[in-house]
Amino acid sequence: MPPPTDPQAIPAQEAELSVVGKRQPRLDGPQKVTGRSVFTDDVVLPGMLAGKILRSQHAHARIVRLDTSRAEALPGVKAVITAAHAMGMAASSTESAGEASRRRTGRAIKLKTGESVFADQVVTYIGEEIAAVAALDEATAEKALELIEVEYEPLPATMDSRRAVKPGAPQVNPEFPGNVWSEDIDNYGKPDEAFESADFVVEGKFEAGVTHNLYAEFHVAVVDFSRPDKLKVWTPTQTSYLMQHSLAPAFGLSLNQVQIIHLNTGGAFSGRGAVRPHHYVAALLSRETRRPVKVFSAGDEEFLIGRALGKNRYKTRIAANKDGTLKAFDMSCEMDGGAVGNEVGYFGWMAGLCNAWVFDLEGNRFRRKVILTHQRPNFLGHGGMMVSSNCAVAQLVAKVAKSLDMDPMDLLLKNAVEPGHTGLSGEVFASCGLKECIETVRRESGWDDKYGKLPPFHGIGVAIGAMASGAKGAFKHDTSAAMVRVGEDGLVTVYTGIPDMGQGTHTTMAMIAAEVLGIDANDVQLIAGDTDLTPVDVGAFAQRGTITTGNATRNAAIDARNQLAKHAAEKLATEQHNLVFRNGRVIRADDPDQSLSFKEVAYATLHGMEGRCVMGRGFFNSPLPYGTMAWSFDAQVAEVKVDPETGQIQVLKVTVAHDLGRTINPLAVEGQIDGQVFSAMSQVIYEELVTDDGLFLNPSRLEYKMPRTYEMPEISHHMIETHDPYGPFGAKEVGEGPVVVTGAAIIAAVSDALGGTLIPEMPMTPIRVLKAIRGSELYENGGQKP
Amino acid sequence: MLLPDHQYLTVDSLSDCLKALRENGERAQVVAGGTDVIFNMRLKLFEPDVALSIRRVAELQQVEELPDGGLRIGAGCRLVDLVEHPLVNERYPAFADAVRAVASAHIRNIATLGGNICLKTRCWYTNNSEQWRQGVKECFKTDGELCHVIKSSSLCHAINNADTPLPLITLGAVLTLQNADQRREVPIAEFYRKDGMDHTVLAPDELVTHVTLPPVADRTVFLKIAARQGMDFSQAAIAARAAGTGADAPQVSLVLGSISMAPIQLDQPARTVEAQGLSDEAIEQAVAQVRAELGELTSLYARASYKSHLAKVLVRRALKALREM
Repeated sequence: MPPPTDPQAIPAQEAELSVVGKRQPRLDGPQKVTGRSVFTDDVVLPGMLAGKILRSQHAHARIVRLDTSRAEALPGVKAVITAAHAMGMAASSTESAGEASRRRTGRAIKLKTGESVFADQVVTYIGEEIAAVAALDEATAEKALELIEVEYEPLPATMDSRRAVKPGAPQVNPEFPGNVWSEDIDNYGKPDEAFESADFVVEGKFEAGVTHNLYAEFHVAVVDFSRPDKLKVWTPTQTSYLMQHSLAPAFGLSLNQVQIIHLNTGGAFSGRGAVRPHHYVAALLSRETRRPVKVFSAGDEEFLIGRALGKNRYKTRIAANKDGTLKAFDMSCEMDGGAVGNEVGYFGWMAGLCNAWVFDLEGNRFRRKVILTHQRPNFLGHGGMMVSSNCAVAQLVAKVAKSLDMDPMDLLLKNAVEPGHTGLSGEVFASCGLKECIETVRRESGWDDKYGKLPPFHGIGVAIGAMASGAKGAFKHDTSAAMVRVGEDGLVTVYTGIPDMGQGTHTTMAMIAAEVLGIDANDVQLIAGDTDLTPVDVGAFAQRGTITTGNATRNAAIDARNQLAKHAAEKLATEQHNLVFRNGRVIRADDPDQSLSFKEVAYATLHGMEGRCVMGRGFFNSPLPYGTMAWSFDAQVAEVKVDPETGQIQVLKVTVAHDLGRTINPLAVEGQIDGQVFSAMSQVIYEELVTDDGLFLNPSRLEYKMPRTYEMPEISHHMIETHDPYGPFGAKEVGEGPVVVTGAAIIAAVSDALGGTLIPEMPMTPIRVLKAIRGSELYENGGQKP
Repeated sequence: MLLPDHQYLTVDSLSDCLKALRENGERAQVVAGGTDVIFNMRLKLFEPDVALSIRRVAELQQVEELPDGGLRIGAGCRLVDLVEHPLVNERYPAFADAVRAVASAHIRNIATLGGNICLKTRCWYTNNSEQWRQGVKECFKTDGELCHVIKSSSLCHAINNADTPLPLITLGAVLTLQNADQRREVPIAEFYRKDGMDHTVLAPDELVTHVTLPPVADRTVFLKIAARQGMDFSQAAIAARAAGTGADAPQVSLVLGSISMAPIQLDQPARTVEAQGLSDEAIEQAVAQVRAELGELTSLYARASYKSHLAKVLVRRALKALREM
């Protein structure tokens, strides 16, 4: 593949960067840490009502009687709604993904969930919406919920995906007999031939438990649908664009009649990419009462709503040769989709790739079966389902190395892909620093002094992974657009639709615009996330922020720069391409003594004969047919200690080397890596929802045991810069690549600490560790590593 | 989760507090730091008519040095005051460790010793929101006749998760309980009842006002195991005390917490090491005797088998730690 030509290239400008690569504190940092940032729950509108949702208390039951009359009669109650108010309204989320999927695989995948807003006659999970109330205040709404009478006829429920597919199991959805929602097989290359010709095969099973994306901000929606021709929604989201596209048809509105406003978003983790029932409920209540309505989910309610990871069971086989060549992967996954089938089977395809992209394989197969149960609806968590799939693979790769008496680092280096590699489905890695990542973590973690030399219950493990930047392939287009307005005072405003849910993308966009315009990032303000004001942006997921919205912002800034350059070139009596914008000045490249200040150029451009208002616009969509343009690569080493008496795991140190193309903001990158190390450690060691017949027993921040500061390991960050030809200033993603590797490195380290025993399950809670110790060779050897 | 309707009453003196308690009895709930009480009120686990704040009662917030070398600690002392108190650290290091192990710095900045001593028992079938609880049958705590944890039981099996009482029991601390008419001194070892519902001997009109610690020269230790190191209740905790030096331990006391409805004083294991000293063999013999003294364990917050395992691990660790002191 020839390197792309960039029609927007500004070589003189970009030869030396003055903003990109500097440690830039978040622009909204001071507001955030002083509690002044505005979140959706802070929105209070005149006449706003409080909405509350009545939820099912049964996993499976017929609603024999539903009487809302006493609630309606309660003073202060303005509306009580049930399934009858939402007839014919299907809550669908990402239909467009179906289109792209058909194009990619040639097969139709049912994506439209057909999920109704309220349960109609039958409830299929604990927490399902049955009715909702809008009242003058929250206390009255709570009281009204108590006055709604529901009589259930309990029905047998199927709570486990293994039992759900057996004959005679209770059926979740009559449209899906046998409780199988979807089955997908992705075949890349020639897996069967590779397995047949391989010297040997290793295999293993791995299970991942049910989790919750413990958002810093609870689920909340403020909706003003008091005018029938305008639906305004304030809510934390990863994508106002997709929300607009789901809500408009559901309410028979045109797109511009639906306005989605996201303020700050307190965490998303793949769980805030779609319209969910509480959004529809708030809209229906607002339409019914002609007043704004706020629906706020209390802590435990958020756990019931779900849409995080369900139980996933993997079976993995790896074909290898005696010389250490990895030939093929074959992985299958049974996924508990919960009561509402969804797109997880489709989006799960990444889980079979992130750990295979890194190797020069002959074949790769990933089978997924989504099974319906009467559990909470499941979807994805932080790192998609790739944290667990990589745990399943990394241990087996270590096992291959062990069985050949090879150092795992040598095995990884032998099989690692290099720049220019073409993957099994035609993807081309234009930049790739994987080998450098592996060598870096080997050196920086002290691997050679530690591997195989640590005492019992002290282990070290390595894992690698890759992550695609950009969502083209999952959607018809993957466009981001941006506008850059230069004020007459030289201060700049960037208009973007991308949400900042903590990852710092708004600061990144400000830095990109500032770099192009040669100004300080603190002189840029962001107008973000209001579909009435900001241009199209598919959203903050699929690692598209920096690369796609970043390119759009760069393009818009270049457009604005060109408008300024026209004036400046005249003043400095030179050509536009001879200008460099840097450090607040516009400078002649051939004669740096001749320059103007950025502010005077901005002022004079408006206050001249033309009266030109500087408004740059730009957009970006991947030019490649495959869609994804750039892959990040990552290698990590984790070092752990296991307490053989209590079964507790302590992660001592994680060494991370991430090929991110170019570091735009080192401060933000370190924060991203720290957050992802935390999250992966949390998923593989701590996070577990305990259930009793579908009822979550620990739906609280106290009992859902996410680790805290004390548990954080030492983290050593290493940014590997490979200057990707497609990314803005060469940058690739760093938002999900690390999380999918940390967990696998930790699990590999735990396995090493226990003498190489395969870890069968995550989270590795103390009781499971004790069980693994009892089943290990370490135990049989009287505490000595075999 | 909104707070239930209630009247918030602030008193400035102990006598006003006791008077208000006499007037309101079971309709009142004393609030000191409020870190446990207010949260449970949000869960509607109790809905008092009157929340009686004793935050301004200065006479409950003193640490007094006694002539015999002991300390008299006001129940209204904040945990942070005790963590930072030189005499508490110097004379009762295991107690100071237990105070330091409670929750997080933010909570210790406001929570009180009396609050931790009176900490309500906890259960994951009750300590969830009211709407969540509507999905399960009423249990003893919610006006029913059932324990979800052990269905055949006639008792509530909610867990007593307080850390500070464990060293206080080994130290022989005495609680002062007062009502409007009188005061009584109750050894903290006799304060708790083995019932998740009615878990202390405190009467509705009584207040725990002081904790009196006798002088103690023995070796003491406190150890806690929790799912995470901060901001968490114990999965199991132990306080231990031994007279003598080295392996010689003529008098030993061992108290386990967070695995049952009340702290558990281990008798036989203590007698074993008293008789045989703190040798590895004697310690293992003591460890082997632990399970028999724990009674019926529940899989509440942690598996029953894990709790009994941790109890043994803690006894072993505590006895070895004492030996090294």
